[in-house]
Amino acid sequence: MAEDREILREVWDGRVAVCVQLASEDCNTLSAPDPYYLMVPRLSYFPLVTDKVRKHFLRFITTELNDAEMWLESDGTPLKWHYPVGVLFDLHCGGASLPWNLTAHFSHFPEQELIKCSSREVVESHFLSSLKEADGLKHRGQIITNMQSKDHKQLWMGLCNDKFDQFWAINRKLMDSTPEEGFKHIPFRLHLPCQPPIQRLIRPLTDDGRKVTLGDLLQEFLPDSSNEGDRVVIQGIEAPRETPLQWLSEHLSHPDNFLHICYIPTQMS
Amino acid sequence: MEGEKEKTATSQENASETQENQEQENKHTSAKQKIDVLLKATGDAPIMKKKKWAVEGEKPVGWVAEFIRRYLKLEASDSLFVYVNQSFAPSPDQIIRNLYECFGSDGKLVLHYCKTQAWG
Repeated sequence: MAEDREILREVWDGRVAVCVQLASEDCNTLSAPDPYYLMVPRLSYFPLVTDKVRKHFLRFITTELNDAEMWLESDGTPLKWHYPVGVLFDLHCGGASLPWNLTAHFSHFPEQELIKCSSREVVESHFLSSLKEADGLKHRGQIITNMQSKDHKQLWMGLCNDKFDQFWAINRKLMDSTPEEGFKHIPFRLHLPCQPPIQRLIRPLTDDGRKVTLGDLLQEFLPDSSNEGDRVVIQGIEAPRETPLQWLSEHLSHPDNFLHICYIPTQMS
Repeated sequence: MEGEKEKTATSQENASETQENQEQENKHTSAKQKIDVLLKATGDAPIMKKKKWAVEGEKPVGWVAEFIRRYLKLEASDSLFVYVNQSFAPSPDQIIRNLYECFGSDGKLVLHYCKTQAWG
């Protein structure tokens, strides 16, 4: 268990270095503002950590845009705020060059590509919904429904305030399983560049009791995935394909309890 | 497989005939295949006369929500919530196929909709 806790802690402490610049079309002053640098937790969501960025840029944009929603773009791609930061980073940057350069926009919100995020409450309800969905897959939803709303709140506040102990005191209940059976299904999302993620049912054990691995998952849902050089990244780590899914789900899931797997074809990286 | 895909695509209204075949195929739908979605009202939401619709698997939940809004002639100011399993609200960009594969049963995906928040 001690070793497990260290892994969970390492994952929790994962950060990405981000440099945000104001979109030139939204800049209303003669000289562009300095870029804003910040270290963002991989497990967080951008709207939870970009209040300061917004404030920094506000005095450089026209007053008509003061109430506009700020959205971020990475090299031409609008970033979906409802994906965890680490997933966006692994998909769109991969750490080839750091910091990760982003552009902040206050106009031309891409309605077709992004969901509006008017407040932190929107992020909270998205987060809770994902938790319920994940527990639906893991335990038929029995654990999350039997929790009290203060437990839900504690999970959310733990994430918002970067409090590992507060979060895991509750989250460990959602990770409950027996070694013989594991979760009913492994909640995962398989992300690929430029297409919706793939989400399917997969059990952690085969009928004859063999542990199902990351490689099995890719084989089943992404049969063309054996090109040499393609990378499979979870939490910034290229996980060995023989890693059991149950272990990955317990240790490398995001706080929403989904295992977010990024598949980066070789020509993209 | 090719032929069957086309058949399903053209006979969207009679999708129930192909339902059993779909199930036997281990629920793996091909990309173009339509998915039967059953729309159920909950709370004070008006019911829909036709409840079962064949929806392209790649369509996002937001598209279905917009379809319901238009069908029920909701005002722009009216809220509409869509739920799966009577427990969670999928994000608007989640595609129907993902939900069907994970939460569908008996060859269809049941979505509950309501005008006020029903489940969490």
